[in-house]
Amino acid sequence: MAVITISREPGAFGEEVAARVAGSLGFLLVDSARLAQFWQEMDLDEDDLTKVDEGGVGEDRVIDGEHEACIKMLPDLIAQLAEDHDLVVIGRGGQGLFQNRPGTLHVRVVASRQFRIRQLQSHRNLSAREAKRYIIDLERQRSRYVRSLYRLNWANPSLYDLTLRMDRLSIEAAMHLIVSAVDEMRLQQVPRRLIVKDLLPETNERKSDERFANDTEKEFARFLEYYRIPYQYEPRTFPLETDGQGKVLEAFTPDFYLPEQDLFIELTTMKQSLVTRKNRKIRKLRRLHPEVNIRIFYQRDFYTLMAKYGLLADASNDIFGVTDP
Amino acid sequence: MLSHFDQYISEILITEDAIAQRVATMGIEISVAYENSLPILVGVLKGSALFMADLVRHMDIPLEMDFMAVAGYTSHEQLQSSGAVRITKDLDNIIEGRDVLLVEGIVDTGMTVGYILRNLEARQPRTIRLCTFLDKPARRIVKVPVAFRGFEVPDRFVVGYGLDFRQLYRNLPYIGVLSGEATGLNRQ
Repeated sequence: MAVITISREPGAFGEEVAARVAGSLGFLLVDSARLAQFWQEMDLDEDDLTKVDEGGVGEDRVIDGEHEACIKMLPDLIAQLAEDHDLVVIGRGGQGLFQNRPGTLHVRVVASRQFRIRQLQSHRNLSAREAKRYIIDLERQRSRYVRSLYRLNWANPSLYDLTLRMDRLSIEAAMHLIVSAVDEMRLQQVPRRLIVKDLLPETNERKSDERFANDTEKEFARFLEYYRIPYQYEPRTFPLETDGQGKVLEAFTPDFYLPEQDLFIELTTMKQSLVTRKNRKIRKLRRLHPEVNIRIFYQRDFYTLMAKYGLLADASNDIFGVTDP
Repeated sequence: MLSHFDQYISEILITEDAIAQRVATMGIEISVAYENSLPILVGVLKGSALFMADLVRHMDIPLEMDFMAVAGYTSHEQLQSSGAVRITKDLDNIIEGRDVLLVEGIVDTGMTVGYILRNLEARQPRTIRLCTFLDKPARRIVKVPVAFRGFEVPDRFVVGYGLDFRQLYRNLPYIGVLSGEATGLNRQ
């Protein structure tokens, strides 16, 4: 999936810009709160997150094997998230973790020291001296984190596709510039197999379009992808009939599973006689597995969906006298 | 009066009078629900335009209005700039901490409104609820919580009162069923 990494100088509105970008594009925002949430879901200690996050890494001169493994958990978690979600990652060495990953935009948000001090003074109620100290401390921590994990100098401009200087930009304008860059770079079009190749082994769920049995399934998958609805293709086979030895005599594999909806979808564009057979299988499935939520999408349902978007071109073009919907 | 282009309307499903009556009631219901708040009504363009305009005139509480639009699905061959849904008109207001009422013309598969809800939720409003003029639950794929509903409609191809087919018919004052001849469905 697409990833935007946002490296930010302290006090340069990097967090605010990232949140607006995530909101505008519908991407998942990976910030401290989100990481703490996932960390908790994995039943890990919150104190450990502090130790392996930006502020805690690189403080000790000696890093033992266990601590090193722990440090890698955070980037691993973010890389895993990028498998299934479009992300906006604030800091956390995103520029190093996803350095050469296709489908990624690396952004650096900067501002003059003076601007950042003023900003921190007003937003955090700090004196000029305190704001300066705050900036120096955070810069040191973040720089140390990136150097320690990826051996990179975070201030190196060649790590970034886009650098925004916030002295003269509003948060809104910065958000628009990033969204335009996403568009220009066609970030969301980078084929998934290219993205996963770099970071993770290809799995069954991540095959190309050829996995689909027919054009209707392919088109339906595109509908789901267009509206960012997570799905799995043929993830489960339900045995419908077995012999005395437990050998499966009849089984049914619905085409799609939408985990967020807990819904199986079976598409059919077959002849009426075959639909009847399929209907019978679905009735059997419902009887044997009443807990399974399944919907059959008939040819007519599919065509209605197409018609809704004006994609049944032939007939309506004749009537409405248009060639391009 | 509309005979020059309503020849493909096979049936009037909801009359102009029934619409007016129902929208007036909805306006009161929603006003009561938000009486201690300053809600921001977000209309999804273009399907909700007529409904939104009528609805707010029946609401007697202070409110703000905003609109957003997303590009509808086009077939793979026509997808050029992006393979994913795009916001073509974003909100002008920041909704963080606000009570948002998303106003839709119709909820069908739930895919579009599901996407918009996810997008708006990421902006951290205080509350977000969905109001739709028409609800077609028979075709739902994505579950969405409908808080206020005008009418539940059967699985027919409906147009009018803001709802279109190829950008036409939005100005019909009633909800009509478009014939299969016009949609192309009768040839499939």
